[in-house]
Amino acid sequence: MKKMKKKYLLIIGIILFSSYACKKSALYPALESSVASSQNFISSDRIIALVNGLYTTIRSTALYGGNYEIYNEVKCDNWINATANSNATYQTWTETVSSTSSEVTSLWAQCYLAINDCNVFIDGMNNGGTAVVGTALATNYIGEAKFIRAAAYYALLQMYCQAYTLNGGTSPGLPLRLTGNSVYGNSALAPVSVAAIYAQVIADLNAAETSLPLTYADASTNTTRAHRNTAIAFKTRVYLSMGLYSNVITEANKIVSATAPYTATSGVAFALQPVIANVFKAPYTTTESILSMPFFTTETRGNEGDYFNSVGTANYYLNPAGIIADPNWKTTDARRAFINLVTKVNHYYLTKYPLTPYTDWANVMRYSEVLLNLSEARVRSTGTLDAQAIALLNAVHTRSDPTTTFTTASFPAGVDDFYAKIAEERNIEFLGEGLRWSDLLRLQLPIPAKSNVPSIPVTSAAYIWPISNNEELYNPLIGR
Amino acid sequence: MCFLFFMASHVHAQTRTITGTVIGKDDGLPLPGVSVTALGTKTGTQTGVDGSFSIKIESGGSLVFKSIGFTTQTIKPTGNKVDVVMIGLSNDLNEVQVIGYGTQSRRESVGNIATVKGSDVIEEPVQNFEQALAGRASGVQITIPNGVMNTPPVFHIRGINSISLSAQPLIIVDGIASFDGNVGGGESGSNALANINPNDIESIDVAKDGAATAIYGSRAANGVVFITTKKGKKGDAVVSLDTWVGISQPFRLPKVLDANQYIAIKNESIKNAGLYNAATLSANPINDANGNMVNTDWEKLLYRTGKSYNTTASISGGTDRTTYYASAVYGNQQGIIQTNAFNNRGMLFNIDHKLNKYITLGLKISYYDQLNLANISSGSLPGEAFDGSGVGRLAVLLPPNVSPYNLDGSYSTTTSGIGIGNNYGFSIVYPNPIPQIDHDRRNNELYHTAANLYIAVKPLPWITLKTSYGVDNINSTNDSFSNPFSNYTVSGGVTTNAASASTSNTSNKRYSWDNTAQFDYTFFQKNNFSLLLGNEQQGTTTVGSGLTRSILSDQTFDVIQAGYVNIGTTGLVNTKNYLVSFFGRLNYNFDQKYFLSATLRRDGYSAFGTDSKFGYFPGLGVSWSITKENFWKSIGADKVFSSFKIRASYARVGNNAGLADYASTSTSNSSLYNTHPTLLPYTNGNNSLAWETSKKNDIGFDYGILNDRITGEVAYYKNDISGLIFNVPVSPSYGLASNPPDNIGAMYNKGFEFSINADIIRSGSFRWTANFNISFNTNKITALIPGTNSFTYSTSGSETASINTVGKPVGDLWIIKTAGVDPNNGRRIFVNGQGKNVEYTFLGTTHWYNMDGTPYLNAAGQPGTINQTADSRDYGNTSPKELGGLTNTFHYKNFDLNVLLTYQLGFYDYYGTQATMTDQRFFNNSTIILDHWTTPGQIARFPQVVFGDNVSNGTTLPLDINTYRGDFLKVKTVNFGYTIPKSFLTKLGMSSLRVYVTGQNLFIITKYPGPDPEVASNGSSTNGNSSGGIDRNTAANSRTFTAGFSVKF
Repeated sequence: MKKMKKKYLLIIGIILFSSYACKKSALYPALESSVASSQNFISSDRIIALVNGLYTTIRSTALYGGNYEIYNEVKCDNWINATANSNATYQTWTETVSSTSSEVTSLWAQCYLAINDCNVFIDGMNNGGTAVVGTALATNYIGEAKFIRAAAYYALLQMYCQAYTLNGGTSPGLPLRLTGNSVYGNSALAPVSVAAIYAQVIADLNAAETSLPLTYADASTNTTRAHRNTAIAFKTRVYLSMGLYSNVITEANKIVSATAPYTATSGVAFALQPVIANVFKAPYTTTESILSMPFFTTETRGNEGDYFNSVGTANYYLNPAGIIADPNWKTTDARRAFINLVTKVNHYYLTKYPLTPYTDWANVMRYSEVLLNLSEARVRSTGTLDAQAIALLNAVHTRSDPTTTFTTASFPAGVDDFYAKIAEERNIEFLGEGLRWSDLLRLQLPIPAKSNVPSIPVTSAAYIWPISNNEELYNPLIGR
Repeated sequence: MCFLFFMASHVHAQTRTITGTVIGKDDGLPLPGVSVTALGTKTGTQTGVDGSFSIKIESGGSLVFKSIGFTTQTIKPTGNKVDVVMIGLSNDLNEVQVIGYGTQSRRESVGNIATVKGSDVIEEPVQNFEQALAGRASGVQITIPNGVMNTPPVFHIRGINSISLSAQPLIIVDGIASFDGNVGGGESGSNALANINPNDIESIDVAKDGAATAIYGSRAANGVVFITTKKGKKGDAVVSLDTWVGISQPFRLPKVLDANQYIAIKNESIKNAGLYNAATLSANPINDANGNMVNTDWEKLLYRTGKSYNTTASISGGTDRTTYYASAVYGNQQGIIQTNAFNNRGMLFNIDHKLNKYITLGLKISYYDQLNLANISSGSLPGEAFDGSGVGRLAVLLPPNVSPYNLDGSYSTTTSGIGIGNNYGFSIVYPNPIPQIDHDRRNNELYHTAANLYIAVKPLPWITLKTSYGVDNINSTNDSFSNPFSNYTVSGGVTTNAASASTSNTSNKRYSWDNTAQFDYTFFQKNNFSLLLGNEQQGTTTVGSGLTRSILSDQTFDVIQAGYVNIGTTGLVNTKNYLVSFFGRLNYNFDQKYFLSATLRRDGYSAFGTDSKFGYFPGLGVSWSITKENFWKSIGADKVFSSFKIRASYARVGNNAGLADYASTSTSNSSLYNTHPTLLPYTNGNNSLAWETSKKNDIGFDYGILNDRITGEVAYYKNDISGLIFNVPVSPSYGLASNPPDNIGAMYNKGFEFSINADIIRSGSFRWTANFNISFNTNKITALIPGTNSFTYSTSGSETASINTVGKPVGDLWIIKTAGVDPNNGRRIFVNGQGKNVEYTFLGTTHWYNMDGTPYLNAAGQPGTINQTADSRDYGNTSPKELGGLTNTFHYKNFDLNVLLTYQLGFYDYYGTQATMTDQRFFNNSTIILDHWTTPGQIARFPQVVFGDNVSNGTTLPLDINTYRGDFLKVKTVNFGYTIPKSFLTKLGMSSLRVYVTGQNLFIITKYPGPDPEVASNGSSTNGNSSGGIDRNTAANSRTFTAGFSVKF
């Protein structure tokens, strides 16, 4: 018995001893279906994935994936709201957004999410990432991050700030965040002026211009990731918003040849497509599309089609008294083909984004905008009509309406006629593409009345959006 | 005993031999080892293995039957044969209580532990034992949130002890921490704990205070519930069979308008809106295929009388060295909602074997397969209150003059909802539920395996070494299908079905390995020491994936494996956590008079931040059996109190339940951009994230009066909780992907608990025992996040009606006040934040007016509105201030009757469903709408009906007109049984047979107008902690009748 007892005790002792333990590594479990953010910069595969990830922050439907364009459209006069659904930009349309409106809080949050992700990325590259991929690729990637950051700041400037052209940018602007945040900390930061934000946007785009590659391997990447000419093209938009027309000309001339057919002569060869409809259908990767947000059934879908063209159930139909009523927009104009009358409801819808389930790519910028930017800047910079400006306008117009060619005689009252014409052309050319509000803002024009919504004068508090209520709640220094 | 002794009469007469059998009341099994003595003598014997005895007494003498854990009985035999049924007393001080990693007698217990016997939770038509716990123990709140089968009840011990993490107690089943809560994704409830057959439960011990829970360290803050399943008893095999059948019915359903009333009200409201046009906007009757006017009773179509059946068979027995218990259960329970059912089948087997003098080992295996079936959403599970097809809402909202069928018998559907019948111009966006009931599936199946194995060695009589390994695995499969008949789109005249199917499978696996060393030693006779040292490891993994497909290739398909157009994923999850602990407990008592229990646990948990992986959790409890003191007798206190024990305890424990496995880690997620992989920050962690800390103070006493015929407990507790975890908002321009979690809030719960058990009448053939308990709880938030005084919470993401405010309890209602209906114009009067009356009319473009008829302006001078931000106020608490139960048990000869009343007092419910039922869109209305304003000067309950008005009666803003005191007294359970006389049974080869009927939820006394004040649209979800007391479109509860028998062979 004694022997037996010893034997059992020995067995049990071994079992107990071996099990009395702690698996220390299990207290620090590896993530199975995600990556610990601290390990993001350890390989070149992860770093290129981070770069692609940055684009998804601006591709979000809350930003350039749709809503930014939609806000720019429905804030203005070309659309009539059909659903009074306050979750669907109804307050933007009625010019009654408050600091708690979902569009005000969500665009603010998405832009700064994109900005912070860019900042975290740039910091991460400077703290080891560059060594992983090498200096050349690192320079390219950081250039892309700066481009994305500039695009996000630009969107904020359009919706939440007074125009630079109002007073040279002395109005209160935004918090300027240039370093990455990844842990809880003091999140209060005072805003800087509109001019300071614009200066940062330009600085980022200048840096991007010098560090981005000239071209990528395929048209699809050329359209969806920033290369040198993308940064230059975007600068024409930014300088136009600032009213710095000679800068627009300088930048545009880098990517617009002196004579027709206008094209970028180095880098990605931007050019107008012969038929505008080709830009709005698969594969969406023509050289006219400077930057587009790609969508597939397997990748988060855009929502412009949902808002403007989901026939009969869309939140918006075209204002019958808006640009589609313009007699100068001829019925033979190819761009009229995008206007579709649904007889059942007797409303006009826009078919630039015809696919369901909404896999049409979202245009951020097309080459025709660069041409019109340059055209307008040439005249505004000198205050005199100019043959090339008219030629550039014609390049865009006659593509869709070959029966009308403008000459100096088309503008009997001079430059004012020309300004009106180019505004009209932009309104027609970019209908549904999100440039309308930016144009009103930079030119300091009132928002025209529509349906039962009255005109909003430039001096009205409703002219620009208020700052997100969440920012006011948690950033005591916001002070606006 | 002295008491009985004095009452005995001394009659000298001849001696005679009395024989008989003693059985236990609860299980009907023969009781061995019962001491049988002749009253007033030293003559005595014990019952044998078969419960039989034989004793000689003087004629006219009485017999005393005594056994540990049972009430002592004195019986004066009339014949030569006496059969005795011994009744267990839940408050007997000798009762064994389960404590963490061991057991002890209640007498030795320092902590506050309430014990519920397994026999109290059987014979009830429940799907999980938690549902039967209401009212059974003080300080325990069980709220059945709805009538959906197998829903996890809201289970709170001593109030709500967390805001963002789980507030439900830790459930320990036979020593292993079990999964709990809803683990399925179907439309029926899928409570993980339904794998425990109530018939298999020996006891449920609810540990409430610091001394009793501290041994569970970082998991103890919400209390600990120990479930002990049955084990075999020494003796011949006993086979038992327990079967019941039952029916369930919805009760207290709201009364809604019939077709004629509906048509009248709608046309009146359309006329009031100035829109009436017989051809384009009007409500009209329609006939069915038989030419009768359609008058659909949607409540009848959507609810039903459910039939239930449940059988448990078990066999148990054992020898001196080996005992075993095996059982199997088979049940089909239908719920009150069409197609909702709970089908369970399971097995439990356990065996314990004493290998030799030193070694004991044992094994338990249980396997359960539960089918949680439902074809249609009840609209009642957390997050579903505004489900398009929620039965709770559709039953009261769908127009009665609309039929689910067209004249040709096909389903009446459109692309957007049910057909509108002859309600011209109506837009009915809610679906026809009948095709869903007929063809859809929202099912879940759980395969649940729980097993453990232990070896215990006693090298010396005072040392026990034990190692125990357990697993708890749940495989959860969801199977969902949406039919093509009511889901389709029409484009360009072409109809495309929008049928869809999804299936997902989640595997939840947990292992637990603990090793303990227990030393029990007595020094110098009276110094009793018991020291426990232990180590535990627990690992949990959750892995799941699933498939969604949509647009059927062929309308006859209804399984996911068939042909579809689109494909996607669902239910992707892959996480794990690991808990490692080292603990010790020292129990000391001196002469069974002074008791001390000190525990210390060190927990390390993978989800905590890298700077806070480990924490220490100490606890200390003391108690004093004052009756053992000589002075107690000298002052004569023993004449009143037969027992009296004072106790006090303190512990600092934690809560980690519900903390996401990787909450402390900053993570980045993958996606796609232009078909290329991406990586992007997804969550922001916190390296110092730790457990929520709960400092538990408890003081109280246990007492026994009249030789413990009356026993009870009184306790005061205060539970200070700090480090409540919140995801702390930062300014959006800071740009974080998620708000990082931090230990930042604080609150407390404090209160009193009283319980009393009384053996009221004990005559030969009639016995009456009663238990009453009541708990008073006060809850107060003392800190949220810096700079924020309150957080609001919404029901199902839509209606914000709950608020947490510093200085107030968790989950107060956040409601807008009203002031009746203006008799002059029939408008609802609202009260704004400043107390000023404002009227609302749906008509026109300006809706809000001052009482003088001028437009209501806001501070900026613009046309103003009543809105929640400016005008809501804290309407009151939703957690009851008082709650408890009253159990009365009567025995008369072979009859027994058990009546359980439960009550909750001092709280408010928001009856949001009533807003649905008074909404003036196309919705059907409650009959209460008939009292509405029509003529100037009229005092009416409801304003003028105006078609489209969804503001006046509370749909868009939660209003006080839909808020009520929730106080209730419920006749929860009545069980009436008859035990067939043994003499009759032996001929049939049975050892006992009891037949019974049970009624559940028979009756409610409450002023609450909804189906049941004990509701919770947000259920036991974490969001439910802060948004209780909301009854928003929740399906009714059920009233259930069952009849059954329990037989033993």
